[in-house]
Amino acid sequence: MKVKNCLLGIVFSTFAATSLAASGGLTGQSAPDFALKSSTGENLRLSEYRGDVVMINFWATWCGPCRQEMPLLDELYSRYQRVGFSLLGVNIDDDSRKAMNMVSELGVSFPVLFDNRKEVSKLYEVDAMPVTVILDREGTVRHVHHGYKPGYEEKYLDQIRSLLRE
Amino acid sequence: MARRILVSLGICLMFAFGVTSIAQETSAVESSMAASVASETEEAESRERFRSLDQDVQDLKKEVLDLNRDLFLLEEELLFPANSQVAFFISMDVGEYFELDSINLKIDGKEVANYLYTEREVGALLRGGVHRVHMANLKTGDHELIAVFTGKGPHTRDYRRGATMSFDKGIGAKYMELEITDRVKKQQPEFVIKEWE
Repeated sequence: MKVKNCLLGIVFSTFAATSLAASGGLTGQSAPDFALKSSTGENLRLSEYRGDVVMINFWATWCGPCRQEMPLLDELYSRYQRVGFSLLGVNIDDDSRKAMNMVSELGVSFPVLFDNRKEVSKLYEVDAMPVTVILDREGTVRHVHHGYKPGYEEKYLDQIRSLLRE
Repeated sequence: MARRILVSLGICLMFAFGVTSIAQETSAVESSMAASVASETEEAESRERFRSLDQDVQDLKKEVLDLNRDLFLLEEELLFPANSQVAFFISMDVGEYFELDSINLKIDGKEVANYLYTEREVGALLRGGVHRVHMANLKTGDHELIAVFTGKGPHTRDYRRGATMSFDKGIGAKYMELEITDRVKKQQPEFVIKEWE
C-alpha cells in the first residue's frame, strides 16, 4: 500500500512539474522584443521600456475575465506608473475597432497595442485568455499568469512591488 | 613429593597458557596491522581512481567545449557565408515631407521584413542614423527588391509608396541602402534604392 502511494506521489509530482514547466516556458528568459501599433496611432517597441518593470497583458474583446481584469490593471498602472511601472495591453482581435470601442467603454488609460497578425501572441506562447506577463527592469520574464480569477490582482500587486524594489 | 610435582605441573601449565595467550595477542596485532595496511592501500587506490576519473571528466568537458566552439563557427560559416550576404539599410535625409511609420521588404516576391518604426527610431534616423532592416543570404544572379514605405506624407496625409529595384548578386557581399529624401521642388518625399560600392 505504501509503495503504491509512493508511486502515485512520484507520478503526480512529475506531472505537476511538467505542467508547471510548460506554463512558465518563458519565465527566466529574456522577453522577446516586438513593435506594434497602439491605440494612439504611434508604434511602441518593448525594448524601449527597458529599465521599467513592464506588464504585458494579452486580451480580447470576447474574453469575459479580460473585461473584469482590465479596470483593476488600470488602477495598478495609475498608481505605479510614476515609479517606473509600464503596462502594455496587447489586443489579439482581428478587428481593432472593436478593441478601441471596449477601451473607450472601460476608460482604461494604459497603452493598448494591436496584434492583428497574432505574431506577438505566438512569440509569447499565448494559449489562454487573458495572459499576463511581468518583466523586470532588465527585460527578463519573471512571472506568467494564465487566465484571471478574482484575487489575482493581489498577486500582481505583490510581484510588481517586489520587482520595483529590486 | 607428590605435592611438589603437582605445584611444578601447575606452574608449567600456567606458563604454557601464558605463552599461548601472548602468541594469540601477537597474531591478532599482526593481523590488525595487516588489515589496516590493506585498507590504506585500498583507500589510496580508490583516491587515485577518483582522481583519474575526475581528470577524465575534465578532459571530456574540455572536448565538449572545443566541439561546441567548432560547431558554432561551422554553423556561422554555413548559415551566413560572407560571400552570399546581402544587407539592407534604411537612411533618412531631412524628412520634412515624410514621417516614416513602417517598411515592408520583399525579395523576389517573398516578404522578408516588416518593420515598424517608433518615434525614437525615426528621430535617430533623422539625426543621421542608419538602420539595418534586414540581412539575407542570396545566391548569385538577378534578384528583385520591392520596398514599401508607409507613413504620413505632406499635410500629414497617409502615404504609401513603393520602390523597386532589380539587382545582380555577384560573388561577394552586397550592401544596399534605401534612402528617404525630400524633393523640395515637388514638395514630395523621394525613395531611392542604391547599392554601396
